[in-house]
Amino acid sequence: MKRVPRPVFFIISIFIVILTLLSLFGFKTTYGDKETVYIKGGNDIRWGIDIRGGVDVTFTPPEGVEATEAQMDAAKEVINSRLVSLNITDSEVYVDYSHYRIIVRFPWKEGETDFDPQAAIEELGDTAVLTFREGKETDDTGAPSGVTAENIIIDGEDVSEAYPYYDQENNTYGVSLTLNESGRQAFADATTRLAQENGVISIWLDNEMISYPSVNSAITDGRCSITGNFTAEEATSLANKINSGALPFNLIAENYSTINPTLGLGARDVMIMAGAIAFVLICIYMLIFFRLPGVVAVFALMGQVAVSIAAISGFFGFVPSFTLTLPGIAGVILGIGMGVDANVITFTRIKEEVCGGKSIDGAISLGYERAFSAILDGNLTTIIVAIILMGSFGPTDSFFGKLLSPLFFVFGASTAGTIYSFGYTLLVGCILNFVFGVTASRLMLKSLSRFKCLRKPYLYGGVKQK
Amino acid sequence: MSYDREKIESLVHTPKGVFCPHIDFCKYRFVYYGFSGLLLGIALIATIFFGITLDILFTGGTIATYSYTGTISEADFQSAVEEVTGYDAEVTGSEDLMTGAENFTVNFPSDVAMDVEEQTAMNEALQERFPDNNIESVSVNAVSPTMGLDFLLKCLVAVAFAAVIMVIYIALRFRKIGGWSAGVFAMLALVHDLCMVYATFAIFRMPLDDNFVAILLVILGYSVNDTIVIYDRIRENERLYGSKLTPSELVNLSINQSFTRAIHTNVTTIGSMIIVCVMAAVNGVDSIVTFTLPLIVGLLSGSYSTICLCGPSWVLWKEHRAKKAMRKAKA
Repeated sequence: MKRVPRPVFFIISIFIVILTLLSLFGFKTTYGDKETVYIKGGNDIRWGIDIRGGVDVTFTPPEGVEATEAQMDAAKEVINSRLVSLNITDSEVYVDYSHYRIIVRFPWKEGETDFDPQAAIEELGDTAVLTFREGKETDDTGAPSGVTAENIIIDGEDVSEAYPYYDQENNTYGVSLTLNESGRQAFADATTRLAQENGVISIWLDNEMISYPSVNSAITDGRCSITGNFTAEEATSLANKINSGALPFNLIAENYSTINPTLGLGARDVMIMAGAIAFVLICIYMLIFFRLPGVVAVFALMGQVAVSIAAISGFFGFVPSFTLTLPGIAGVILGIGMGVDANVITFTRIKEEVCGGKSIDGAISLGYERAFSAILDGNLTTIIVAIILMGSFGPTDSFFGKLLSPLFFVFGASTAGTIYSFGYTLLVGCILNFVFGVTASRLMLKSLSRFKCLRKPYLYGGVKQK
Repeated sequence: MSYDREKIESLVHTPKGVFCPHIDFCKYRFVYYGFSGLLLGIALIATIFFGITLDILFTGGTIATYSYTGTISEADFQSAVEEVTGYDAEVTGSEDLMTGAENFTVNFPSDVAMDVEEQTAMNEALQERFPDNNIESVSVNAVSPTMGLDFLLKCLVAVAFAAVIMVIYIALRFRKIGGWSAGVFAMLALVHDLCMVYATFAIFRMPLDDNFVAILLVILGYSVNDTIVIYDRIRENERLYGSKLTPSELVNLSINQSFTRAIHTNVTTIGSMIIVCVMAAVNGVDSIVTFTLPLIVGLLSGSYSTICLCGPSWVLWKEHRAKKAMRKAKA
C-alpha cells in the first residue's frame, strides 16, 4: 500500500486556508484610481435580480406575427444597444426562436434610487428608428448636426433587408443592403450626387451612428453593399442593426417582473449569516463525534465552501461571475450537506473497522474504499438532477440547454433563471464532494495517521483503552 | 418473516463501540403505512377544502406590491386600484419586518397580464390619489397565461424526466440486488416524499411557485441519495452473507448498520436548514421561510421513507416473488 508522506496534511490544509481567504476576500492592487482585480472575492459575486433588485422581462412580437430568425436577431440587437444607451452593461439577453421570445434580465443600477423600471421596459421594446443621412456631422453629444441632421435620405421603412456576406475575391466581409421600392428613387438621387463629391452617407439607429460608408458610385437599382475592414462579427452586427431598424413590429412585454433592491439584500445577508452559523455548528459537531477525522472534515468542508464561492465569483479577474440567486445559495448549502454526508459515511466506516480490531492504516483504507460506492452513487444521481435543472431552466444556447433541447423544445426558454443558478451550484457542490470529501480528505487523514502520537484507536472512534 | 436478533448477532459480529440498534423495521411497516397515509389524507382534505393556489408564474396574472407611509385602509386602496385600472383586484396589507415598511399586495385575476403602460398609469394614478403616503412600487410581476402554463408543464416534465433517469441508473448500479425492483421502490419512496412536500404547501396554504419546483428537485436528489446509501449496504451484505439471510433480515441488518450515518447526516443537514429557516423567520424574510420549511419537511420525509417505507416494502415484494416461485415449483 502506498504511504502518504507526513507533510501532505499540512500542504493540503495550508493550501485550503489560503484558497479560502482568497475566495472570500480576493486579491486586488490599487494604483491611484486604477484597481486591478487578480483574484475575485466574495464581494465580486454577481447577485441575481431576486437579491439586488432589477427587471426580468420577456418580449415578444404582437400576437399573430411570425418573426423570422433574422428579425429576432435584429430585435435582440436593438435591445442590446438600448441597454447600452441606458447605461446598463450588466445584462443577460436570450432569444428563443421557436416561440418568438426574447428574455432580458438586468439588475438595478448601482446607487440608483429613482430608477423607473417601467419606463426602461417601454423603451427597450420600442422599435428603433433607422435613418440614412447625408454626411457625418455630429455635435458634442454625438447626435447628428448640420446637414446630417437636416438631410435624411431614407429611413427604416425604406429598407427591405440587410445581410452579411463574404467576398472571396478580396477576402473581406461586407453587408449587402436591399431597399424597398419606396426608397429607391431618393437613394438613387442622393448617391448620384454624393458619388461625384466623394461624399459620405451615415447610418443611424436612434441617435447612434452605426456606420458611415463613403459613396463610390450611384446606386439606382436599390441594391448596394457596404464594404470596409469588417470582421465576420462586425458585418453580422451591422446587418443586424440595420435590420432592427427595419423591423415591421414593436416588441411587447409579455411577462415582466421588477423587484426593488431592498427586498432581496436583507434576505441575502440573513442567508449568509445563517450559513456561517450552520457551518460553525457542523464543524463543532464533526469534531465532537469523529475526533481526528473530524479535524480533516473541517478542512475538507472549508475547501468545499471556498471552491464553491470561487466557482460562483469566477475567481480569476478575467472570468465573469456567475449569477447567484436565492435558490442558488440553497444549492450551495445542499452541496455542502452532501459533502458532510460523504465525510460521515466514510468516518462511520472507519470507526466500524477500528472497533472491529483492524489496524489504523487498514481501517482508514478500508473505510474510504467501502464508503466510496455509496458516495459515488449518491452524488452521481444528484449530478443528474443538477444537469437536468440546468438544461431545462438555463439559457437556450448553453451546453446543457442544447443537450436537453429535444425534450423541452415544446416549452421554449423559461423565465426562471433562479432555478438555473440552483442547478449550477448543486453541480459544483457534487463535483467538489469527490475532490474534497473523498480525495483530499483521504490524503489528509492518511498523512496524519503517520504521526505516532495520532495512532490511538480512540482518535478514530474506537473505544478508549485503559 | 421475522428478524431473529440472535441469529444476526451470531452471524454478523458488531464490534464494541459501534451502534447497531437491531430494530425490526419490517415488523411495524403497517404502522408506517398508516402514518404516511394519514398525513397524505390530511393533505388531500386540505387541498379539497382550502384549494391549492398556483402562483401567477403558472397561471398568469399580475401581482404588484406597493409600499406606503401613514395609514390607508385596505378597502380604500382596493377601490382606488379598481377604479384606476378597471379590473377586479384583491388587496392584502402586510408589514415588511426587515425594513419596517407597510406594504399592499395587489392581486389581479389570472387573465389580466397588465402591460407596462397600464402599470405606469396605475402607479401615477395611485400616487396622485394618495399624495401624502409616499406610494412606491416595490415589485411587479406580470405573466401571460400561455407562458405560465408552459412553465408549469416544463417543470413537470423536468421532474418526471429526472425520476426516470434515476430509476434507470439505480437499476443498472444495483443489478445484483434486483435492479429494476430496487429502482422502482426507491422511486415510490421518492413519490411519497414529493407528496409530503406538496402536503406542506397545501396545509400551510402556500401558493405553488418556482420554489416548489426547486424543492421538489432538491428532495429528488436527497431522498434518492439516502436510499442509495442503504442499497449500497444491502449490496455489500448480500455479497458477504447472501444465502444465509432472508430478504427481511438482509434489509433490516443493512438499515441498522447504517443507522449511525443516517442520524449524523440528517442532524447536520436538517439542523443547518432549521437554522436558516429560524433566522429567516426571525428577520422576516418570508421568501426563505417558504423555501426552507417545506424543504425541511421533505428532508425529514426523505430519511423516514428510506428506512421505514422503501426497505420494508421492497422486502414484502421480494417475499411475494419468492412465494410465487415456490408455488410454481410445487405445481
